[in-house]
Amino acid sequence: MSWRRIRHVVQPSPRAEARAEIAFHLEERRRELIASGVDPADARARAAAEFGPIEPVERAIADSTHRRHDRRQRTERFMNLTQDLHFGLRALRRNPVFAAAAIATLALGIGATLAVFNVVNGVLLRPLPYRHPERISMIWLSLRNDDGTQADLPLTSGFFSDIERDARTFESMAAFRAWPYALADGPSAEPERVAGARVTPALFRVLGAEPLLGRTFTPDEGRPGGPSVALISHDLWMRRFGGDKGVVGRTVYLSGAPFTVAGVMRQGFSFPRGAELPAPFGFGVRTDIWTPLVFDSTDRINYGTNNLSAVGRLPSACGEPAHCASVAQAELTGMLRTFLAANAPRLKLDYRLVSMADQASAAVRRPLLILLGAVAFLLLIAAANVAGLMVARAHARQRELAVRTALGAGRWRVTRQLITENLVLCALGTVAGLAIAYWGTTFMLRLVPGSLPRADDVALDWRVWGVASALALLFAVLFGVAASYTAAWRGTELAGTLHTGDARSAGGVGHRNMRRLLVAGEVGLSLVLLIGAALLVRSFVQLQRVRPGFDARGALVANVSIPVTRFQPAVDGPGWAATFQQVMARLAAAPGVAAAGATSGLPMTGMFEAGGVRPVGRTYDPGQAPSAQYSVVAGDYFTAAGIRLVTGRLFDASDAADGGNRSTIIVNRRFAREQYGSETAAIGQEVSPTFELNPGRPPRTIVGVVDDVRNVSLDAEPRPQVYLPVAQYPYPRMAVVVRVKGGPGADPRGAAPLIRDAVREANRSATVHDIRTMEDVVSESLARQRFSMTLIGIFAGVALVLAMVGLYGVLALIASQRRREIGVRLALGASPGDVVRMMLREGATVAAVGVAGGLLGALAVTRVLQSVLYGVSSTDTPTFAAATLFVVAVALAATWLPARRVARVDPRSALAAE
Amino acid sequence: MPRPDDLDLLQGTLDLLVLKTLSWGPAHGYSVARWITQLTDDVLTVGEGSLYPALHRLEERGLLTSEWRRSENNRKAKFYRLTARGRAQLHAENASWERFARAMGQVLRASEQPR
Repeated sequence: MSWRRIRHVVQPSPRAEARAEIAFHLEERRRELIASGVDPADARARAAAEFGPIEPVERAIADSTHRRHDRRQRTERFMNLTQDLHFGLRALRRNPVFAAAAIATLALGIGATLAVFNVVNGVLLRPLPYRHPERISMIWLSLRNDDGTQADLPLTSGFFSDIERDARTFESMAAFRAWPYALADGPSAEPERVAGARVTPALFRVLGAEPLLGRTFTPDEGRPGGPSVALISHDLWMRRFGGDKGVVGRTVYLSGAPFTVAGVMRQGFSFPRGAELPAPFGFGVRTDIWTPLVFDSTDRINYGTNNLSAVGRLPSACGEPAHCASVAQAELTGMLRTFLAANAPRLKLDYRLVSMADQASAAVRRPLLILLGAVAFLLLIAAANVAGLMVARAHARQRELAVRTALGAGRWRVTRQLITENLVLCALGTVAGLAIAYWGTTFMLRLVPGSLPRADDVALDWRVWGVASALALLFAVLFGVAASYTAAWRGTELAGTLHTGDARSAGGVGHRNMRRLLVAGEVGLSLVLLIGAALLVRSFVQLQRVRPGFDARGALVANVSIPVTRFQPAVDGPGWAATFQQVMARLAAAPGVAAAGATSGLPMTGMFEAGGVRPVGRTYDPGQAPSAQYSVVAGDYFTAAGIRLVTGRLFDASDAADGGNRSTIIVNRRFAREQYGSETAAIGQEVSPTFELNPGRPPRTIVGVVDDVRNVSLDAEPRPQVYLPVAQYPYPRMAVVVRVKGGPGADPRGAAPLIRDAVREANRSATVHDIRTMEDVVSESLARQRFSMTLIGIFAGVALVLAMVGLYGVLALIASQRRREIGVRLALGASPGDVVRMMLREGATVAAVGVAGGLLGALAVTRVLQSVLYGVSSTDTPTFAAATLFVVAVALAATWLPARRVARVDPRSALAAE
Repeated sequence: MPRPDDLDLLQGTLDLLVLKTLSWGPAHGYSVARWITQLTDDVLTVGEGSLYPALHRLEERGLLTSEWRRSENNRKAKFYRLTARGRAQLHAENASWERFARAMGQVLRASEQPR
């Protein structure tokens, strides 16, 4: 074999060879000519002339030689590669435990990391599916309360009309609000509830959204009295209309009124997707139908009802989006200041611009980044484990490699084979990792159905493939280096290995310490993860212990919507009130029902609205009245929801008398205390809500004070709240709450048909949907916390298992290395107990170093969690202590096994080994 | 045998001649050229411009192998040798050629047009 190499080195290039061959021919011909009598001087010239042009021939045969060499090299390389692969697979099969451990560890590390990155990519990194999304900005109002807190408010139609008309720093602007519709094919057909939105026609221009079929709204359709047109989403088009291209121009019935379908939007467009609405996720994560939002003359001067989301596009001419936004902000602030100076000088109101990207994902950015950090830890642990496995294996193969070299295997050949083996491992691990990543992504998304913004945007794109490739490459390099490292040992230890017969002592100390360090690192990292998970669990438990102000057990909830195309309470109000009152009456009389009520603002669903409630007798500037969350209630809502009455009375039949012309109101404890000092002092007082449907209504008398309710979420303090009876303030959309007999443990789901029947009898066109228990509602509100807790808990568990496997491995290795020494000790009279204690000390040292490092790391790192923790500090001592003890216990258990095995070593066999 | 065009015929026949020449033993390119000329009584002269490419082509196809050796007068030359595949190819081509030659002869010797 080495001869061939010499020949390769010495062999001339194909070109030179060709030249030599031709030269030989010419020389022979010349000799022949001379031999036949030609003059030597002419012979050379004649030979050359006979041959003809040399250059092309030279080139042709040189190319031929090139091709031949290339083909031969390729075949050789291919044969070597297949041979290496064959050997590699065989080696792995001979060591299935090692192979399985390495592949599994690798797969877990890569898979988990890719799954998390995939979700992070979709939610945080990918640009939004609109044209130049960096130029699109949401426009909110920002109110600074007296207590210093700041609240984002939706716009009013008055404010929006003003800025739409006057603002110059926006290229285009649009307003929208969610509006669920009951979609039917005919005026009396069975309706299907679809998520809809009313939008000003400019919205599509702001977003840069083109329709797939038909067209979007014209400006005329946004004016009062314009035609009733609707746009449908791609999903709805496929689902309900079967992708029929003739749908454009068809008439559909939305909440009983006819609309013409003007167009179908492209796949993937379903704006607004929940985050852009003022009550995030109270309205679902995608929109399927759009109708025009029309402002009439009264709307344009309505500055009191905050119910509009607004979005604007910044012009590309003004430069950087950030700079552009600040210019726009300045203009809007200036406009508002002028307005307020004239109308409500003491109101601390301003506009707030939020970029679309921030709006869509701000709420989940922190938890997702924390998750990414956690999975990075897991990846490190997996890498350390695999490295440790490689090192251990390399060490075990010293012998085999030494023998191979002695038998004449080329050093490069051996190295190359090791690299191939390792790459096979790497490839198998990566493939398995991709499978885990796919499954992991599905699992993650299923954990938070409907609560993860931009879940639709999670898809494989170049960033995910890039990270996958980078990971695969990283591990490939790691493995390749490990392989060369292994092969390199051979050289230095060859003689020593074969002579002393003890392949395991020479050079063992150095890499033993490295393994110890690796494992200590793993233990530390897994401790950090464990502490993080434990903190999240504690926080979750604390959250669940919060008293929400209502009783979620044994209650069933259903959303009931009366179809409405124009919100005209003066006209339709009595009908709505009658519907709900009938439903309540029927339900109250139904068997098995302890209490039935309804509310327009079900806690934890974001359904509440807010407005000003002015105690009579005190003066306030416009817009400066104390703000309160308000909802409309029907039936025995407070009893059904388990909200305690503190003082006064609940609503009863008297509030519905006089055709709804009574004026009563119930407030919560916070409102009573803030305005009147105590709950009892509030009874009998009069207030004037700014959100009255009928502005001429007399002030309302406070007839009762109820407990504070956590309306927004379990971790937000309850705000001032007021309640109005439906007879006096009709509303078309309410959540029905039914409490069943049998106490808090009863299963309320049996009440579902009762609700449906009652609603159908009271109003045929009303739809009943989202039937779930109150406990489900509370549980859904905790979805995000549960998501973080579950995932980090899983990562911590896997990390701990990996770390313990690593610990066990290194201790088993040490035990086998020191067999001889242990044999000697036992022979000299040491007791098995001594030996076990020695091993335990080994393990304990490694674990202790790891735990110490882990604690320090945790103290530094967990402060990142503080913003998502509730009721627990990020340096909570009991949690730290418990997690540490747990890790120490598991580490000792992992140490115990090899220790026991070592203690049972027969001294004679240990000494006789080798 | 399918009807080749002129160039192919030239190449194919040259290949066959070369294979046959080498069937008597290894030789360098110059020898092959001279033998072909000698054996055909100077009827066929092989242009050197086509001979060497032919030799290399045959080597690429695996019908020949080559190695550098000392020639009769002790100078380094590239000697070509038939491989087993080359020998098999020679037999096959030979048989094809015989059939072709016979068929041509039949046509050319025909005294009257077939019915």
